[in-house]
Amino acid sequence: MSASVSSSVPAAGDAPFCILIAALGGEGGGVLADWIVGCALAQGLPVQATSVPGVAQRTGATSYYIETLRAPAAPGSQPVFALNPMPGRVDVVLASELLESARMIERGFVSPARTTLIAARHRVYTTAEKMQMGDGRFHDARIHEAAAQFARRYLSLDMEGIATRHGTVISAVMFGALAGSGLLPWSRAVCEEAIRRGGLGVDASLAGFGAAFDAAAGATIESALAETPAAARAAPEVWAPLIATLPESMHAFAAHGVARLIDWQDAPWAREYVDRLVALAAAAPAESAAARDSLAEAARQLALWMSYEDAIRVADLKTRPERFARIRAEAQAGDDDIVRIVDYLKPGSEEIAQILPRALGKRLRARASRGGGLPLLGRGLHMSTSHVRGYLALRLLAALRPLRRRSLRFHEEREAMGRWLDALGKALPDAPELALQIAGLPRLLKGYGDTWARGRASYDRIFATLVSPAMAEPAAGRDVRDRVGQIRDAVSAALADPEGRRLEDTLARAGIEPLPPRSKPIVWMRKPRSGPGDGKREIGENPGTAP
Amino acid sequence: MERSFREEIRLLGLGEGEVFHGEGILAVTKALLQSGVSYVGGYQGAPVSHLLDVMVQARDEMDALGVHVEACTNEASAAAMLGASIMYPVRGAVTWKSIVGTNVASDALSNLASPGVTGGALIVVGEDYGEGASVIQERTHAYAMKSGMWLMDPRPDLPAIVRCVEQAFELSERSNTPVMMELRIRACHVRGSFVASDNRRPKVSTRDLQQDPAPFDYAKLAHPPVTYGHEKLKYEVRMPAARKFVVDAGLNELFPGERGDIGIVVQGGLYNNLIRALQQLGLADAWGRSPIPILNLNVVYPLVPEQLTAFCAGRRGVLLLEEGQPDFIEQELSTILRRADLQTKLHGKDMLAMAGEYTAELILRGLLKFLALHAPDVRLTSGQELVSEIDDLRSRAGAAFGGPIPARPPNFCTGCPERPVFAALKLVQREIGPMHISSDIGCHSFATFEPFSFGNSILGYGMSLASSAGVRNFSARRPLAIMGDGGFWHNGLLSGVSSALLNQGDGVLVIMKNGYTSATGTQEVISTPASESRRVAEGASATGTEVTIENTLKGMGVKWLRTVHNYRVAEVRDTLREALTSDFDGLKVVVAEGECQLERQRRIKPLRAKMLKEGKRVVRTRFGVDEDTCTGDHSCIRLSGCPTLTVKPSSDPLKVDPVAHVTNGCVGCGLCGEVAHAATLCPSFWRAEIVSNPSGWDRFMDRLRRRVIAWFQPAARPAASRAASGQAG
Repeated sequence: MSASVSSSVPAAGDAPFCILIAALGGEGGGVLADWIVGCALAQGLPVQATSVPGVAQRTGATSYYIETLRAPAAPGSQPVFALNPMPGRVDVVLASELLESARMIERGFVSPARTTLIAARHRVYTTAEKMQMGDGRFHDARIHEAAAQFARRYLSLDMEGIATRHGTVISAVMFGALAGSGLLPWSRAVCEEAIRRGGLGVDASLAGFGAAFDAAAGATIESALAETPAAARAAPEVWAPLIATLPESMHAFAAHGVARLIDWQDAPWAREYVDRLVALAAAAPAESAAARDSLAEAARQLALWMSYEDAIRVADLKTRPERFARIRAEAQAGDDDIVRIVDYLKPGSEEIAQILPRALGKRLRARASRGGGLPLLGRGLHMSTSHVRGYLALRLLAALRPLRRRSLRFHEEREAMGRWLDALGKALPDAPELALQIAGLPRLLKGYGDTWARGRASYDRIFATLVSPAMAEPAAGRDVRDRVGQIRDAVSAALADPEGRRLEDTLARAGIEPLPPRSKPIVWMRKPRSGPGDGKREIGENPGTAP
Repeated sequence: MERSFREEIRLLGLGEGEVFHGEGILAVTKALLQSGVSYVGGYQGAPVSHLLDVMVQARDEMDALGVHVEACTNEASAAAMLGASIMYPVRGAVTWKSIVGTNVASDALSNLASPGVTGGALIVVGEDYGEGASVIQERTHAYAMKSGMWLMDPRPDLPAIVRCVEQAFELSERSNTPVMMELRIRACHVRGSFVASDNRRPKVSTRDLQQDPAPFDYAKLAHPPVTYGHEKLKYEVRMPAARKFVVDAGLNELFPGERGDIGIVVQGGLYNNLIRALQQLGLADAWGRSPIPILNLNVVYPLVPEQLTAFCAGRRGVLLLEEGQPDFIEQELSTILRRADLQTKLHGKDMLAMAGEYTAELILRGLLKFLALHAPDVRLTSGQELVSEIDDLRSRAGAAFGGPIPARPPNFCTGCPERPVFAALKLVQREIGPMHISSDIGCHSFATFEPFSFGNSILGYGMSLASSAGVRNFSARRPLAIMGDGGFWHNGLLSGVSSALLNQGDGVLVIMKNGYTSATGTQEVISTPASESRRVAEGASATGTEVTIENTLKGMGVKWLRTVHNYRVAEVRDTLREALTSDFDGLKVVVAEGECQLERQRRIKPLRAKMLKEGKRVVRTRFGVDEDTCTGDHSCIRLSGCPTLTVKPSSDPLKVDPVAHVTNGCVGCGLCGEVAHAATLCPSFWRAEIVSNPSGWDRFMDRLRRRVIAWFQPAARPAASRAASGQAG
């Protein structure tokens, strides 16, 4: 230990073999590290593993780091292993999830000169990605591209699929992929022996290990980049001659839209859809790419809007035979298992008002806004849709479909769609960029209950403050470009903050006077003690609205 | 407890010459037994939980040795336990997570250090610092200095750690001073090997009782006027004795090298990363041999001035590697050099970062500066190339991803009973507006992350209610304090509840009664459900019948007290609203009951597997989302954040945004349905009850139902045929 050095440069055989495992807390990364350590010990190789579980436990990002030598050490000598991985000096990065491999690349642990990156192909989305009102997912393609660019060798494996197929956990699959990559300084049999010594779920672990080993050892898995995402459902063959008269950019969406609207209501309703598309197409300049995109987006949005989700639609979808089959499959029920389905419904007065005839619906809504209601509404129902009574109740609701055309919401949506189509029709000829923004606006109309009401309010606010004034302006030059940017920003703000606070800030930047803050219901609450035990009650004000 | 330590318990029994392969912190546990400790105590917390957990599970083995093991209720009680070594020749060790645990223990530590100890006293602290740390970034070093206790920082190599533990007891006894040993996170979790020796049976123990109490000796009390004498003793007798032992026993290691002009002084814990950095420059081989002499400090307080001046004398420059701030060692070493009138240039924080973890990369960057200045003959090319390669990799990666990778902080487990309480709180906030929320330490602090983002302050374990004492007096809207049962028993009962009652404070406290200190590995607290009630509860919550917390609060005089069952979200919402808006003047406590899901699953899984195997009727529950009614607005996720409630691409070509989706990890806790109801969210959620091995009656009813439903059911309509039939109609 205290001898001085003759040659200070480490010999190649002495250089540590460094493995960095990126995983999520609770996935069994520790077990994988144990297996690797067990192999090294069995081979008489010096080895050290460490980790930072700490607060990264419970589904947070975490890492394990292992160093070993490729050959046994001379008796009595002990190599010094590091406790942190050195960026640029890691031999293998093993990631149990795709985004975690990106995190390792970001931190400099994947080097084109040295590192083999073995990564799972599936995503476990982070909360920040999942909770966005629109699509907050980080793009897989970006990660695959970076991985191919930064790794000396990139092995992309469907680890989750292999684990599921063999009824095992992802750590066994990761181990198999690592062994199959041919980088470990010991044989496959040594790895399998380490799994056997572990003693728990051995057969399944070995099966998962073997499948991943074969996949990694063969060249079959380096094709993540070439693979396209699951092919979109082919457009149905419906009303082909009619749809052929539309511009090409509308074809696919229009075909899906027609099928959807026939299913939602009837053929005349689908015909109305196509007629509206024809009118839009007539207004669009053929040579403009933005106009073509606007038409496609309008065809998509209009189909969704015209098939809005009301109680009738929900009841219809929930009682279809294909749904029962889907749930059985999703719940992994065995052939002999019995599946009972319970639906969570809570029809409020708004939902009922929407499907009532116009006059009646308006009266119910007015009554509800005064604080009244109907005795049975607003209560949560646990409907057992797989039982006769629950099923029939929903089927009865679904049977109201023919009456939908007279309903309150049908009229309201039709009017709103009309205003939107008018604006689109006006913008298309001279300002297709503006039309594209208007075409995308209905993506704010989403969800049910409060979520839907907030989305609707955002939509109306943007339409009134940005779209309508734009219609009155000369459709050229800087003004249009400003409007385009303003609408885009407003839509992103409304999606980024579903509670609606950020939208007003964004509108204010566009020169729109903010709405006065909505008043919260007054809560009767004791103010902090003003004197010793005065016992008087005062009205608690909201911060910022104090007189 | 979450984990079983069967294999580790076997390791604790290894004898002379056998090889121990395992985790660093368990090597410490084994070293304690090899040192002949009479008693061990501590409070759980990463990264040292396993030290105590394994001993608690090995109670029988410990008892056979005569070693008493105590799972203390907080660090103060653990530190006070060391009082046994003041008067008696018994060795004792305690452990906790630093810096927070040392803060809690500091009163007892001061009063322990003042009279000093007769038997060896060792405090093993997990230096929870740097990547993976869950507490504020501070150094334990300050406590060692202010109380006059010695601090060891062993080289993170199992034989070195074990040797240091054994020598720490000797150091403690020779100098009559408690010794602290800091082990960083990665050192605690490091897996390595050492050759064991036999466990030593303590002379005084639960098996060999001390017949008479120690004679009265006022000088051993931390009470004036003898405390004035203690202060002199610390620095005139004990510290010189400690320094002498450090030198005599060779606790600090000198690794000589041929270069006489430069040298490196390093805290033991950083030694391995230093060697890795030197290797990048070709200045060390795989075995750590370097031409640059290295003085490795396994004892970082006190320093031995003669040892340091001998090392520095005659050298042009010395680099000191000291992690964290302030730079205590560097300041002291500067003074030592100045007093000795040595002209050696001292470098440290001027070339390395003042704050943050000293990774091999960071040390390499510091070495490049130091060597460029004091060893111009050394070729630095390989190190410089690596540093620029790293910089280049990171900047290119940033560009390739077009921004930072989304963060992935920890989250409540699938089915966690604390999640529904925060969903309910979010609903209450929508009604009455946001209020000040005092957060605490524990699993529930995960609510500070998205999608909840709750919490205005975290002041310490069990401190939430106390930390709202000021706020509640100037807030128009009543503030809310959240505490776990772990925090409640650790500190919250006294610092929060009794203080609020004494001051007739008007606050709202939510206590998460999940039955264990779950964040640290589900260790038991005094209100942990008894094994019998856990057995009876099977799959249900075993905390439902446990009322120690409620009884304690009632006994103390809490008048407004409600217990809610967490999964009934609407009830939790209503109770919270009531507490926040009630005109009751005084402390309002909501006990939110729901047993830790990890413990429940530990019971349910084997039970269910066994019943399935035996062909018994088993009902499993799972939630799901109807893809075709989901509009992709994800409001359900913003109220839940459950790991199994995620998104997937929509298979509907008209919908571009991903739809909500429940994975097969779902344990059917019920939150999805409850939230859908309480928030009037969306009709897309379904609950499936899957009956395996159904009874004859089940089968009969199922057939009947399906037949009746089939009469009313429309034909299945896949997309294409649906359109065709529409056209025909």
